[in-house]
Amino acid sequence: MIRRLWQPTHPVHTTLGLLLWALWFVVLYGGLSIVCAVAPPAAASGALTGLNGGLLLLTATVLALLAIMTWRCWRAGKAQAPGSSERFMARLGAGAHGVSALATLWIGLPVVVLPPCV
Amino acid sequence: MTDPRARHQAFEKVWGNLPGFGTLAAVNHTSIGLRFMVTGMLFFLVGGLLAMLVRTQLALPEQEIIGPEAYNQFFTMHGTVMMFLFAIPVLEGLALYMIPKMIGARDLVFPRISSLGYYCYLFGGLIILSSLFLGIAPDSGWFMYTPLSSAEYAPGPGSDFWLLGITFVEISAMAAGIELTVSILRSRAPGMTLTRMPIFCWYILAMALMIIFGFPPLILGSILLELERAAGWPFFEVAGGGDPLLWQHLFWLFGHPEVYILFLPAAGIVSTLIPVFARRPLVGYRWIVLSILLIGFISFGLWVHHMFTVGIPQLAQAFFSVASMLVAVPTAIQVFAWLATLWTGRVAFSLPMLWIFGFLIIFVCGGLTGVMLALVPFNWQVHDTHFVVAHLHYVLVGGMFFPLMAGLYYWLPHISGRMPSERLGYWGFWLTFIGFNATFLLMHLTGLLGMPRRVYTYEAGLGWDWLNLLSSVGGFIMSAGIALILMDLLLHFRFGKPASRNPWNADTLEWATNTPPSAYNFGSIPDIDSRHPLWDDPGLPDSIAAGDHHIPEIDHGRRELLGTDAIGARVREVMHIPTNSWWPLCAALGLALVCISLLVRVYPLALFGLVIAGIFLFRWSWENGAHPKAAPLGVNERTDPPLHSRTTDGPGRWGMIVTLMADATLYLSLLFGWFYLWTVSPDWRLPEETRLSTSGLMATGVLLTLTVFRYRRLTERLRAGQDSGLWPASVQTSVLALLHLGSLIWVIASAGLEPGALAHDAVLSVMLYYLLFHSLVATLASLLQSARIKLGYVSAHLPYEAIVLKPFWIYTLAIFWISYTAFLLLPLAWGGSP
Repeated sequence: MIRRLWQPTHPVHTTLGLLLWALWFVVLYGGLSIVCAVAPPAAASGALTGLNGGLLLLTATVLALLAIMTWRCWRAGKAQAPGSSERFMARLGAGAHGVSALATLWIGLPVVVLPPCV
Repeated sequence: MTDPRARHQAFEKVWGNLPGFGTLAAVNHTSIGLRFMVTGMLFFLVGGLLAMLVRTQLALPEQEIIGPEAYNQFFTMHGTVMMFLFAIPVLEGLALYMIPKMIGARDLVFPRISSLGYYCYLFGGLIILSSLFLGIAPDSGWFMYTPLSSAEYAPGPGSDFWLLGITFVEISAMAAGIELTVSILRSRAPGMTLTRMPIFCWYILAMALMIIFGFPPLILGSILLELERAAGWPFFEVAGGGDPLLWQHLFWLFGHPEVYILFLPAAGIVSTLIPVFARRPLVGYRWIVLSILLIGFISFGLWVHHMFTVGIPQLAQAFFSVASMLVAVPTAIQVFAWLATLWTGRVAFSLPMLWIFGFLIIFVCGGLTGVMLALVPFNWQVHDTHFVVAHLHYVLVGGMFFPLMAGLYYWLPHISGRMPSERLGYWGFWLTFIGFNATFLLMHLTGLLGMPRRVYTYEAGLGWDWLNLLSSVGGFIMSAGIALILMDLLLHFRFGKPASRNPWNADTLEWATNTPPSAYNFGSIPDIDSRHPLWDDPGLPDSIAAGDHHIPEIDHGRRELLGTDAIGARVREVMHIPTNSWWPLCAALGLALVCISLLVRVYPLALFGLVIAGIFLFRWSWENGAHPKAAPLGVNERTDPPLHSRTTDGPGRWGMIVTLMADATLYLSLLFGWFYLWTVSPDWRLPEETRLSTSGLMATGVLLTLTVFRYRRLTERLRAGQDSGLWPASVQTSVLALLHLGSLIWVIASAGLEPGALAHDAVLSVMLYYLLFHSLVATLASLLQSARIKLGYVSAHLPYEAIVLKPFWIYTLAIFWISYTAFLLLPLAWGGSP
């Protein structure tokens, strides 16, 4: 079952990347809010805080995962017959993973420049 | 049976509604869908009338036509009626009506749930509306911000009408969400793979899933706020350890996806109509599916952009600002795909296309002001001004109402068998289009000049006078346009030219039915091998009616659908679905009694209504599977494909899982509330000593675990085709379940929590009652299962029902231990007391 789901041509890949993005987004916002409520870094530190670093590391990890998944789906799509359902799903999966990666990059960028709790 | 007339009569006998008052027992998707749409349009007229009253009051400065109290009620009810009683239900109705016809099915998979949804909507809507006529309507704005809507600042029953009425109405949205998801995934015509599915079905699938995940936060928020107002549980009151901002989070966690829940089906109409009128397939089908998926997810990551002014850190605002701009990308993908389809096609300029062009212009403008509002500094500048009012009307009227009108004109011949008047239709469009832009384009400027929203009057000479006057004139021009459309609609039933079959030369299966459609849609179910079945085979309607395809027989007297697998649409089973039933109406009446009793605060009567509704719902569940009124075991039953109640994976199991997804979202919202108050609430306090018995709760949890393992073992044996000792095993499960239930009640009763004094205890109490509700329902269902096993309705040949119930037991177990950890162990580890 798990092996079948893991195939890049399975329709589950059309939402897997977006689910990962959503999870990352919740952790990003939730993590920021909790740390700011419990132990906010000094405002004078600007964006150079452990919190920003942690969020950036998380973002980079998710980004790398999504990029790998995009490549995997795209490659699987190329191997399928044109017009086949499998090719459709693999291409769709590549698109969804790719856009999720771009969304992660774009939304994660402010972590580099803005202080976290001001 | 080859005579077409005799076949038709035989099918109508099985699928038709009961005559006279019996039509109230109808469950057929065509009837229910039309009822949703007609009721929604009537509510639209009420909402429109309220808008005209608002515009009359604002036409000139310093007017006293409507006093501030009535004005507050009018704008609150305008927003509430338009969003909850018109926009969502009408689109749900359209989807309920259209989806089975588009996927080649005879009905939806849970017809009685559609009927229950309709009655909840109707009764809830009437209850909310009655407050207006009694002069006690809600007056805190359609998003009911606390503390303005709390007991202190809104002491009358207005907020209660909103909270209870809307929650009642939302049962219909949840019903439609579950119904549509399972129907689209499991009852498509054979061969209609996901990649061949009409694009409209992708949109509705996304909408349905968004309802599943989007509505529960608001349902929870409404329950919490009503508990605060009625019982004094301080979830949103700082002095008691609550936080008013929690309401804003819960509301907008629903509220922003809600905008896309409205937009997606409307965009689905656009994507369906444009290829028909451009006379070519849709450009970029796969791109559009991708953009639907993107909208479905990204729209859940925007809710804080409604809260930019509440004091959230800039970095968090930046996340939501960027995400808000990002959601324009999938919308733009669709706009470009539509333009490319039109560009490369041979466009026929008919009346529906006029509304599509109106949509494109207005919605793109609304989208652009949306990107402006996503910028935090600009958002701060125009927050709570008429600029926001103008923006939201451009998005909602442009993005929902205009496509809806296009769809109305397009599918009108399908519903009535007659064509509308082109002339009246053109006048109706242009008056609406000009009137709308006169009202709301100017309103952007009014907002930029600083006029706040929701003020009942304003001083002369602030530069707002002429803008407001012209907006009011525009509003009345728009009303005249809508009056003409209404006239066209009514007159066409009498004077419209009879429509030919498939008058627009469409490609999708709904045009293969009769117009108006018969109760059973299709005399037989065809194999589908392309996205454009009617373009590929114009003779398909005739062969369907002649019974040349799947399940053409009706002499068994059952309402039957073909069940296919979710991805490849291969035939798996024949689903036998219920016929006309009074139980949905009875259950909805019971729930209406609950709603009204809570409004007048006669709680024993509310409890009585709840018990009555519960009895009706369980009685409804009794007529399933091998019950004589459903599909009793026969001697020579079909086995290829089998009836779904003889399998282990029918639509009920899918429905249960989708329902639990919604349930889990509600639970996650409660967990969010717990952690939010814990970390953010300025005056969060813990009780001085531990009141809840952690060991007692542990003991009841062990009993629950034993129950679930026993039940799981029972279902595994059924799956393996073994039913020896089934009844004793079922009784053992029920006894264990009763022991667990009894001990849980004891733990709650002996806890001595003070939910009226502390938000901490209030949230803990909600969690405990949530667990109790699930344990109670699961136990009652298991007791019923025992009785049905005894009667022979569940056996190795009929394993289905027991397997449908299994996910509910597992969910009950999961939330118990998650709650135990998150609400009890975690605070202990943190140094507090549960």
